[in-house]
Amino acid sequence: MEAYILSLVVFGALNVMLALGLNMISGFCGQISLGHAAFYGTGAYAAALLSISGLPFAASLALGALVAGALGLVVGFATLRVREDFLAITTMGVGFLFLGFVRKQEWLGGEFGVAQIPSPLSPLGFAVLAVGGALAMVALSLHLRRSWMGEVFRAVAADEDAASTLGVDTARYKLWAFVLGTACAGFAGGIYAHVTGLIVPDAFDFIQSVTILAMVVVGGIGSTWGVLAGAVLLTLMPELFRFVNDYKLLIYGALLLAVMRWSPSGLAGLAALVRRALRSSPA
Amino acid sequence: MFHLELLVVGLIWGAMYAMMALGLTLVYGLLRILHVAHAGVFALGAYAGVLTANATGSLWLAVPAAIGVAAAVGPLIYRFIYAPMLSRPPYVALIASIGLFIAMEDGFRLLFGPYGLPFDYNPWFVTTYSLGGISLNVVQIAMAVSTLVLAGAFGVFIAATRVGVAWRATVSDPQMAQSFGIDPVRVRYLNFAIGSAMAGAAGLLVGLLNNLVEPGMGAVVSYKGLAIIVLGGLGNVPGAVVASLILGVVESFGTVYLAAVLDRDAIAFAVLIAVLLIRPRGLFAPAR
Amino acid sequence: MRYSHHTPSLVKGLFLASAVALGGAASAADALRIGFHAPLTGFAAGDGKSSSLGAELAAEQINAAGGCDGRMVELVIYDDQAKADQAIPAANKLLGEGVKVAISGSYSGATRAAAGVFQKAGIPFISAYAIHPDITRTGDHVFRTSFMGEVQGRAGAKFVGEMLGHQRIVMITLNNDFGQSLATGFKQKAADFGIEIVSEYSYSIKDRQFGSIVAGVKRDAPDAIYASGYFFTAGPLVSQLRAGGVEAPIIGQEGYDTQHFIDIAKEAAEGVMITTSLDRDSEDPEMRAFIDAFEAKAGFPADMVAAATHTAVRVMCDAVARAGGDDPQAVRDALAATKDFATATGRISFNALGEIMKDVEIQVVKDGAYRHFASIHDPELLAPPSE
Repeated sequence: MEAYILSLVVFGALNVMLALGLNMISGFCGQISLGHAAFYGTGAYAAALLSISGLPFAASLALGALVAGALGLVVGFATLRVREDFLAITTMGVGFLFLGFVRKQEWLGGEFGVAQIPSPLSPLGFAVLAVGGALAMVALSLHLRRSWMGEVFRAVAADEDAASTLGVDTARYKLWAFVLGTACAGFAGGIYAHVTGLIVPDAFDFIQSVTILAMVVVGGIGSTWGVLAGAVLLTLMPELFRFVNDYKLLIYGALLLAVMRWSPSGLAGLAALVRRALRSSPA
Repeated sequence: MFHLELLVVGLIWGAMYAMMALGLTLVYGLLRILHVAHAGVFALGAYAGVLTANATGSLWLAVPAAIGVAAAVGPLIYRFIYAPMLSRPPYVALIASIGLFIAMEDGFRLLFGPYGLPFDYNPWFVTTYSLGGISLNVVQIAMAVSTLVLAGAFGVFIAATRVGVAWRATVSDPQMAQSFGIDPVRVRYLNFAIGSAMAGAAGLLVGLLNNLVEPGMGAVVSYKGLAIIVLGGLGNVPGAVVASLILGVVESFGTVYLAAVLDRDAIAFAVLIAVLLIRPRGLFAPAR
Repeated sequence: MRYSHHTPSLVKGLFLASAVALGGAASAADALRIGFHAPLTGFAAGDGKSSSLGAELAAEQINAAGGCDGRMVELVIYDDQAKADQAIPAANKLLGEGVKVAISGSYSGATRAAAGVFQKAGIPFISAYAIHPDITRTGDHVFRTSFMGEVQGRAGAKFVGEMLGHQRIVMITLNNDFGQSLATGFKQKAADFGIEIVSEYSYSIKDRQFGSIVAGVKRDAPDAIYASGYFFTAGPLVSQLRAGGVEAPIIGQEGYDTQHFIDIAKEAAEGVMITTSLDRDSEDPEMRAFIDAFEAKAGFPADMVAAATHTAVRVMCDAVARAGGDDPQAVRDALAATKDFATATGRISFNALGEIMKDVEIQVVKDGAYRHFASIHDPELLAPPSE
């Protein structure tokens, strides 16, 4: 049973990293992205190949994050002029382009992906690493939000044109958001590769991107704690509903729909509502 | 000859995309919603069609069944899902739509089985006509013709009927339209009914072309439809049709000449990204 | 969560009762619990359904015949959505529930991820139909009871080039690990059997519209077409090739091997030949019993995926019986020593890597059903890698 819990902890923590990374882009900076899995995959492939080539685990993870962040910079730079829904669909396209490219590359293993990735840690070790990484990202996320950068991000999210008239270099901050958010995904990808031992292109498909965005939105876009809760909830969802194997996805879809319908600010909005109710209730 | 055939194949694929994209772009033009669940309506139309055809033995009855069921469900989606969310940020409706689509796909699997349903009797697929060496079956011809007819009828409807004018007024300025006595809610219902009817017809035709109606058949059009309406300029109806045809033709040639480098989806999105890098708002001006 | 295999029919009840009476020790309390993961939801749900039906049938048959070494077999089935990040928790959950032996009824990514978990835990594990070459390389507790893609591709080359005598071949390859490994095997041996590959097209698993490929094949005018795919891609592909006027013979593989393919392609399916491991006209009692019982249970004819999981459950059970219990190490050793064990997919023996060695069956679609066409017995050509 312990191993089961540990594996859930690992994948839960990976999802937290992915969701927090996307939240920096979509929540803090207002740039909805439907292609986050591409950066997850970039980190996974880069770290896996480096690790196989003999680089130490820690260095592979760091470089995986770096490569993903670099790709994020390129994508962010190229799409600076593309806004709102156009951007969402462009990032979705980046995801498909990534997948289509990887599938055809022999040096990336093509359809077979990359196998025999070393597994340098025990299940407990991976769990500690993943949770540590997730906590570090929570800290980074809270810091960003509070810092000067967070203020600018907010201004960009609220009204990009107004922000730039005020002399804010919006492009620079959008790029920072992209780089940080995608590097987080790359780091998570590196851990994923070493946990599973084999990566195939399909693991980083459109559905994965949608799943990450769903975690952000269900948690409450822009709220670090909300997104954390959203990622944990949606990771555990399939497990909680294992007893109804057959209806799992139906329930998942219905839950997304229900949260958006009745609590569109996600879990964070729900929490705020409860807090307000408690405060105003005559005690 | 070979290239001509590829062109024809591409135009037929484009026609198929156009029937999907028209509904999507109508919804976007009116409500600013990326209506992913439109692909669920597409599959629903196909299921209504195949179940009717197999139960009655008549493909002709399948046509009104597919169109009718889809046209009925579209407005319901608006009423119960999108209408309460209109004041929210756009991603709220997007995620709700994705959730609905996932639930619909899985609902089809639970109700009608994971293997999908073939048509017991599909004479339209096997009846082919040869035109200058290019053989097309009746379903392919129907796909091309119905897209032409629907797009044409829609153009006439918008330009020449009272309801069409009301619709256009609501798209370009809802408040102004309302002050002239146009009920925007009625226009929205109409909008969903028309768009969904087209998706249902497209679903049936695709089901006939594949001779298979399966739970996941909406998956590809769910995202490719979005790519098309973005390429054509969000909310721009003629733009969506042109973008559909371009994408169809690009994919047709791409799947033969570029298959060693990129797969079909990646080819489509490579075109989309290339266009958006040059024209960030699509090929044609977005609505409003 | 857990599927019970006690079919509530009177006949079955009597069967079980008599089995218990005869077997004496057999009771639900010390049932042999076999862990099983398969894609019950998601894009691969069709195969997940077939694979769990096949495994359930094997368990029912074993129980009706007195159980496995006197113990009732109970499957513990979990969904993995054919995804690695679902398969690892599922595998760990199976471990947590105390299963001592496990089987994958899933695809490569999920199977390889689960194999790592079971290997580390020292639990013997069989991959029923996932074809990724690295699955058995996970370790000495991992076995595979189906052909590797490459082996089947080589058999395809021999069949097309040597047995049918076709020379100019067009390949249509499915873009996934299954298609890619078939293509690799086919190309490896093509020249040896006098085959010239005129051109190769590829498509993604989501494609159902093949107009551009049909146009290309018409231009190439090959002697035959070697096309990989699953029933839901191959059905539309074959119908569209025939509707487009392509008359060249089409050679497929086990992905086609289900009645659903014929239901989709209808008349166009006639004459399509496939390499597989399930022979519909087999005289072999094991195969016959499986084919008949499956249709009675499922309500549709047997397919390759179901036969593969049925085989895996029976092979596992045989090893447990020979090991005299479900001690994982003893079962692993017994599995490795499996020799010529008769199953629905032929006689099973493992090599040092845990891969099987068996004949390839050729089936042809005739009057709306798969029928025997030929067998390939060529130990040298069909040898899987051993390390």
